[in-house]
Amino acid sequence: MTVPFHHPDDQLLIGYASGQERAGKSLLVATHLAYCPDCRQRVASYEALCGNWLEELPCAGDDGLDALLDRMDGLLTAARIQQEPAPIELPAAGRTCGRLVPEPLRSWLPDAIDTPTDDGSWREISKGVWLSGWERTLSGTTKSGTTVRLLRMASGAPVPAHRHTADELLLVLRGAFRDEYGSYGLGDVAHYVAGTDHYAFGASEEDCICLFLLDGDLIFLDEDGNPL
Amino acid sequence: MPFSRGPLLPGTLNRDGAGSPDAARTDADQFGELVHAVAQDRDRSAFAALFRHFAPKILQYCLRLGADRSTAEELVQDVMLTVWLKAASFDPAQATVGTWVFTIARNRRIDRLRKEMRPAPDPDDPAMTPASLATPEETAQMVQSSRQLQDAIETLAENQSEVLRRSYFLEQTHEEIAEDTEVPLGTVKTRLRLALGHLKRSMRDKA
Repeated sequence: MTVPFHHPDDQLLIGYASGQERAGKSLLVATHLAYCPDCRQRVASYEALCGNWLEELPCAGDDGLDALLDRMDGLLTAARIQQEPAPIELPAAGRTCGRLVPEPLRSWLPDAIDTPTDDGSWREISKGVWLSGWERTLSGTTKSGTTVRLLRMASGAPVPAHRHTADELLLVLRGAFRDEYGSYGLGDVAHYVAGTDHYAFGASEEDCICLFLLDGDLIFLDEDGNPL
Repeated sequence: MPFSRGPLLPGTLNRDGAGSPDAARTDADQFGELVHAVAQDRDRSAFAALFRHFAPKILQYCLRLGADRSTAEELVQDVMLTVWLKAASFDPAQATVGTWVFTIARNRRIDRLRKEMRPAPDPDDPAMTPASLATPEETAQMVQSSRQLQDAIETLAENQSEVLRRSYFLEQTHEEIAEDTEVPLGTVKTRLRLALGHLKRSMRDKA
């Protein structure tokens, strides 16, 4: 399989295409699009739908825009055609081993995603499972926003039981993991809505590393299912 | 304007018949030619024609999304200036002019009204998976999936499409939609769920 198998919901794709979706989930969707030609096409279809909706907007006859067109005349003369941006510089070889994380996520990350687990950039939350020290809060549908981190799972290591109060999304950047619904490889998206119980464990020889998005709080549970 | 040189049928004395190429030209072709004229010749009358068509729509779009009049006018100016500057990057094989203008307006208003960056893939990124890397089976599936989505969009019930439009394009809350369209809140939610379900069924390999 060379292209992803598990895709974001249409709700996310149409929200991304229309611009309704906020920055946090848009970062995950856009990075999935870099892996997934199929979803790029779906987003293009939804953009075309929005283009039709733009065309259908009723316009007032006298909208007073003639004056603006006149004012723009001078701007057009002054405006220079922008140079094409220089080709992207590839990060130094040491920045990532194996496959390069695509844009737009790459620019957000401080380091290679696979830095050693003992160099201080990872926090072990249970045996063989780490959260990145790197963390960003981006705008989301809830007031508290969407928290963006990396989640790392060693082969066979289970993510400890947890409860989330809102959406949780994972995008695989390296390796693979499994949950009760299936197996997730490079570029795949797993979406868990609030209140669902699920398990996950690393299912590749190398550590599985995912972009990990959370709306709301993540509460780890003890053996009896009580919040820690 | 290409002059029709097709053979005239016997007895056909004027060129205004339904079969003339001009009659078959679509709006999309005409806007594409205007953008092309802006890109190639810096044609200001072509730009003015694009402005007269799209500026009122961009203005309405921004006003509907909560901009005040002067911010909306600034956004219209920004978007149309981008049309002038980036005309050469418009690719008629990828999108219609209306869709292209929508994407510029969407990005500018996220930037200006929300003060946010819109994350987007970089088409020149060497780490992007090109469509050509897909296997022939995957490519065939993609073509089919795209057609199925088009079908799904075109066969949406009118009231479901309207809820989708208000929810995603105009960013109205369920409550606002219920009030504006004078239907109960539960009906709004049901229609939105049905609309998304209808689109989802066209998704390939849904796990």
